[in-house]
Amino acid sequence: MITTPELIDSLAANVTPVRRLRPPLLRAAFWLALAALVLVLLAISHGVRPDLAQRLQQPVFAVGLVASLLTGVLAAVAAFVISLPDRSRRWLFLPAPALVAWVSTIGYGCLSDWVSIAPDGVRLGEAARCFATLVLTSLPLSLALLVMLRHAAPLRPTAVTLTGSLAVAAITATALSLFHDLDATVMVLIWNLGAAALIVALGGMLGPRMLSQVALRAFPHDREA
Amino acid sequence: MSSGSRNRRSPLTLVAGASPARETGSAKPGSTAEKQASAHDLDWSILMARAQTGDGEAYRRLLAEIAPYLRSLAVRHHRDPSDVEDTVQDVLLTVHAIRHTYDPDRPFGPWLVAIANRRIVDRLRRQGRTRSREIALDLEHETFAAPQANSPEEAWNKRVLWDAVESLPPGQRQAIQLLKLQEMSLKEAAVATGMSIASLKVATHRALKSLRKMLMKRSRET
Repeated sequence: MITTPELIDSLAANVTPVRRLRPPLLRAAFWLALAALVLVLLAISHGVRPDLAQRLQQPVFAVGLVASLLTGVLAAVAAFVISLPDRSRRWLFLPAPALVAWVSTIGYGCLSDWVSIAPDGVRLGEAARCFATLVLTSLPLSLALLVMLRHAAPLRPTAVTLTGSLAVAAITATALSLFHDLDATVMVLIWNLGAAALIVALGGMLGPRMLSQVALRAFPHDREA
Repeated sequence: MSSGSRNRRSPLTLVAGASPARETGSAKPGSTAEKQASAHDLDWSILMARAQTGDGEAYRRLLAEIAPYLRSLAVRHHRDPSDVEDTVQDVLLTVHAIRHTYDPDRPFGPWLVAIANRRIVDRLRRQGRTRSREIALDLEHETFAAPQANSPEEAWNKRVLWDAVESLPPGQRQAIQLLKLQEMSLKEAAVATGMSIASLKVATHRALKSLRKMLMKRSRET
């Protein structure tokens, strides 16, 4: 086994200049700019849903949309802040109010118009395109987040991946409600919350391992991480 | 919210820089370690900022100074000295891997302590997992109260050793019996036998040599 003074010598001998991370808020802003870019590209290629202007008049839809967007923004900020070792864990709760608002609007919709579900309310084509939007939004955003937060692997992998996944999920849900007219409440519930839960769960399960894989490739001398 | 977390700069950094290297060796668990850490905070912060630009000498000094402090943190949670040392090395490796996340505008202590706590907890968890799969053998697992009864091999080994001692020449046998089996001192044995200390030493040396030879031969035969 290597002794501590030997380890110190070898680390000091191999020290290379590093670029300091930018402040977390700025890095979150970079990532959110990427998210905005993805949404704009999708809007150009796909077009927003035909009844968007009409739906925005409805308070529940508008509140839900704003709340999901806000959840995405706040969760991204929280993920970047808590990925640093010396910041308080309480930043985890930053997206909580927006999350509660978002989830409660979906719940309200579910209670108010559950009778209007038609048996053939959703065509398969729409559902498939919906899924495409989901993948197109969440995949690039998740990958970018994974690379930007790889340094959190030896610190708080679970908390960081959970908030990061929540950010991706909320942005994806925003995209879904902007681009797809899935009005049947059950479908909204499944797509919004189901996709969110799926992304968060996948992130929670795979995230720590993926983070350390990415981190391992980025810092090859650190085999402990 | 961001301004609130920025203001946590430790006020104690102002007293830093008086005599850095001397006191670190005597770091004890408890508040002394924390006081030292905050007293060195500014030094460490500057050293780390220089290490980030690739200054190897500053980095070596920083690591050498934080190692005793990390040891004092690890000692509070680990009893085994090798665990303590492993934890210190884990923390140093992590510090090395994520040294770019340190922001020199903020105090160094909390950054370091957060990493150290993470590594200490990780090791405790790993130990907990290992221990939950292992059972320590204790007295209850033995069949009989008398230790000899539990391992016939041991009794057999004793028998073999005894025979070997018996077969030594009388002078050597006596030396072994008095010095090794009855654990007399050289002086006592010299009085008891009338031999000189030097010749007792020689006899013991030869006896051990021939015992070793006899036992080796026997183990090769069996």
